[in-house]
Amino acid sequence: MTPRTAAAQVEVTVDGRPVLVRPGTSVAAALLEQGRWDFRVDPVSGRDRGPYCGMGVCLECEVTVDGRAHVRSCLERVRAGMRIDTAAGEDA
Amino acid sequence: MSGYDAVVVGAGVLGAATALELAEAGLSVLVLDRGAPNREGSGTTAGNLHIQAVHTRRPGQAVPLDSEGLLPAQKAADGLWAQAEERLDADLEVRRNGGFMVAETAEQRQELRTKHVWERRAGLETELLDGDAARAALPLLGPTVTAATWCPHDGYANPLKAAPAYLAAAGRRGARVEAFTPVTGLERRGAAWRVRTPRGHHDTPVVVNTAGPWISDVGALAGVDLRMSPVAIQMHVTVRERPVLHHLVQHIGEGMSVKQVTAGNLLLGGGWPARRMDLDGRSSAGVAGLAGNVAQAARILPFLARLRLLRMWAGPLAATPDEMPVIGPVPGREGLYVAGGTYAFTFAPLWGETLGRMIRGQSPRIDVSAFAPDRLTAPAGGADTAVPAHTEKGTAPC
Amino acid sequence: MSADTFAPSLPAAAELSADAAVVGAGPAGLAAALELARGGLDVLLLDEQAEPGGQYYRRPGPEVLDAVGDHRPEGGRLVARVRAAGVRVLSGHTVWGVDDDRRTLLAASPGGAALRVRARWVVAATGAYERSVPFPGWQLPGVVTPGLAQHMSAEGVRLGRRAVVAGSGPFLLPVACALLERGVRVAAVAEAGRPYTPGPAALGALRFPARLAELASYAARLARHGVRLHQDTVVARAHGADRVEAATLVRFSDPGEVVARHDVDLLCVGYGFRPQADLAQLLGCAVDRDPATGDTVPRLTPAGRASVPHVYVVGEAAGAAGAPTALARGRAAALDILAASGRAPDRGERRRLAVRMASLARFTRLTAALYPAPAELVPALARRLPGSALVCRCECVTAGAVRGAAAAAGGSDVPAVKGGTRAGMGLCQARECGPALEALRADGPGTGAVPARVPLRPLPLAAVLGPAPGEDA
Repeated sequence: MTPRTAAAQVEVTVDGRPVLVRPGTSVAAALLEQGRWDFRVDPVSGRDRGPYCGMGVCLECEVTVDGRAHVRSCLERVRAGMRIDTAAGEDA
Repeated sequence: MSGYDAVVVGAGVLGAATALELAEAGLSVLVLDRGAPNREGSGTTAGNLHIQAVHTRRPGQAVPLDSEGLLPAQKAADGLWAQAEERLDADLEVRRNGGFMVAETAEQRQELRTKHVWERRAGLETELLDGDAARAALPLLGPTVTAATWCPHDGYANPLKAAPAYLAAAGRRGARVEAFTPVTGLERRGAAWRVRTPRGHHDTPVVVNTAGPWISDVGALAGVDLRMSPVAIQMHVTVRERPVLHHLVQHIGEGMSVKQVTAGNLLLGGGWPARRMDLDGRSSAGVAGLAGNVAQAARILPFLARLRLLRMWAGPLAATPDEMPVIGPVPGREGLYVAGGTYAFTFAPLWGETLGRMIRGQSPRIDVSAFAPDRLTAPAGGADTAVPAHTEKGTAPC
Repeated sequence: MSADTFAPSLPAAAELSADAAVVGAGPAGLAAALELARGGLDVLLLDEQAEPGGQYYRRPGPEVLDAVGDHRPEGGRLVARVRAAGVRVLSGHTVWGVDDDRRTLLAASPGGAALRVRARWVVAATGAYERSVPFPGWQLPGVVTPGLAQHMSAEGVRLGRRAVVAGSGPFLLPVACALLERGVRVAAVAEAGRPYTPGPAALGALRFPARLAELASYAARLARHGVRLHQDTVVARAHGADRVEAATLVRFSDPGEVVARHDVDLLCVGYGFRPQADLAQLLGCAVDRDPATGDTVPRLTPAGRASVPHVYVVGEAAGAAGAPTALARGRAAALDILAASGRAPDRGERRRLAVRMASLARFTRLTAALYPAPAELVPALARRLPGSALVCRCECVTAGAVRGAAAAAGGSDVPAVKGGTRAGMGLCQARECGPALEALRADGPGTGAVPARVPLRPLPLAAVLGPAPGEDA
């Protein structure tokens, strides 16, 4: 039932660490497949937040992509060589 | 139907502050508002506490105000804001961290020097800085800033909290608030006023008109012509940021104020005209004002260009023909008082106290005779002294 | 002084013009754009996603489609026809507002540059988003909307090991099936209503056996996998410290009765879809409150024409009714525009379309009758929220704080509650907490709905400023 491994994986960096991800997915999907649910830190409570609506409305899935802050990861596609930084990465 | 010692018309910050003053003195007070309390000018303002001399024109303002003439009131208001949270037993997010008023052109630098002299004369502590000194004090300032005055007393408070806190404090001292209750009539009955509303009437010796953009309409109910002009202006706010700007930043030559509010959002204002004033519904903010305000603010504080706009909104204010505040008893109308006009948020604690003292026959903390309503009720001298060009008077009932 | 004294609204903004601008490239927007282009109009199609398709035809990249299959291939075919018809498709462009003329659309390009779009006709096909109702713990990572679960499953992601799908509406069943297909164990599906033991009111739906068969096939698949389908059941709480760890389900009709507690690492909760009508509002179109859903919906002719005659609202933005209706509404609006432009389309075609839309509308009504009406469901859920639960997840405002502000001295309305608490004033601008916020404020005078405001999405100020000197737009 898991997707058959087809296209070659591409390398991106997540919070500075190189990881292999499936091409053609959203950035959110790539992070979730890494087991990551801590996309951003809520500025009021200081607690982790993860993607919620999956369609660009809630803005809970915002990450930094190639230095561009506040990218909605559910609407952005991964590309080989992409640099993805979550809140955890920014604080590091 | 019922009797009160005073009826306050308008539950904005001025009405709320006045109601508290009167309730504290033991008067029975009723506050009426045509809509929800604090929904119009008082709740939509930027919440600046302007203590150093202000710039003299909003964008689009026809008549410059007498900036020097406001200084004693600003100084007095500063002292009252310092005590406001303790007095109201509420967190109003008052931040008195000081502010810069910047200049770019030679003419603006001259204005800063002039105002600095006035400030010293008024006993208000400010400092005149050249561009580099200003940037050393506030490295966020951009390269076009050639001078600034620094006033350690400037600040801001949360306008969404101030009037509600005043109303709550007044309520604890027995004042009643009736929202969504427009005043439909003001009639003289012997020594008292009969205040009519759709829900019945109230008899009172004292009526306080703090109706903001509807001041003229409420005045008209009492047969008095108060020449005020409603104007709608707009504000812009960014997404929350980490603390970066601790001071109020204004411009001496242009309408501009920028600060970071307690929640972390950067609030951009400066009196830019709204797209549309709608005194029956909601005024709406426009893109022209947004573009103008953001362009100037990002020139003075370039870091703003990398932030995101979260929201913009518009709200009305009531301007006098000379752009100065109005406060005091209405001539020829015993027991009718009015307060409003320029910088009402900054002056709210002072005007509340002032009206309270006047109504109880005491003398106010500062001389406010220059702001007396008689200059608005006097017949106009000629066509050219009529309402300024920026008036687009609404047709709202009060 | 009026604002227009202040010259160019957006410095150095690029300007595009077209006969028709369609906003939103979901089924309705695609159908409208295709029909308009075929009728000879010059059409611009703006969409904020990376690829056209909207939510319904949302397509991952070709590599993913190769690997996991394309569950809606008709979407790809429609997009291809739209492109072939000569529609100018601007993906990655977020329409964030309307200029002061209330006509020119303002958009930001993927690079953040400002763009002004002027068109004789504007078709708002801005879609819908899921109706959320807060519950304690809904802010925990791992709590998502069913829509997110479906999208991520379509992208081939196995979102968790064990899930509960809850809320109300027909959408819950296919989402549970999509999760199963990715190897997620679905502990239970919880539906607030009792749609699957229908009463007499629902029997009319039997006239549409094909659509019912679809639901029945989902239900059968769930049964085969041993998924419990709880009716009259809602999520009372999500448990967990930094991620969701468990969910407690209770009876909707008797919240004191615990139905089950499941250990889960994924909890999908949604209560159907709400039209996204804010662009139409910014364009000055009249709106009403839909009494059954409580949603703000534009006032439209059957062909989708709004109270502002050059504006049409189509698809889910006109009222959530599903993809077949969205496609039909898109076409109907396009044919209406073509007729108004003097390019008389085939009368018979318009008539056939009207008949089909009437039939679809009947089905939508009957389906809706199976499930609890949101206008009653949302307030019922909001009322029982414990005071400590977050209503506004962006600004972390609790139900207790909202109730306090709603009861403020002298009366209150929705904007006053927002102002007093900051609820609905965060990043999502009340799109997630809006229904609960409106429900928590007791009835009374003043504004009962969250107003539409510019910008429609947080907007980089750079897009307002235009390019810096020496910089490319």
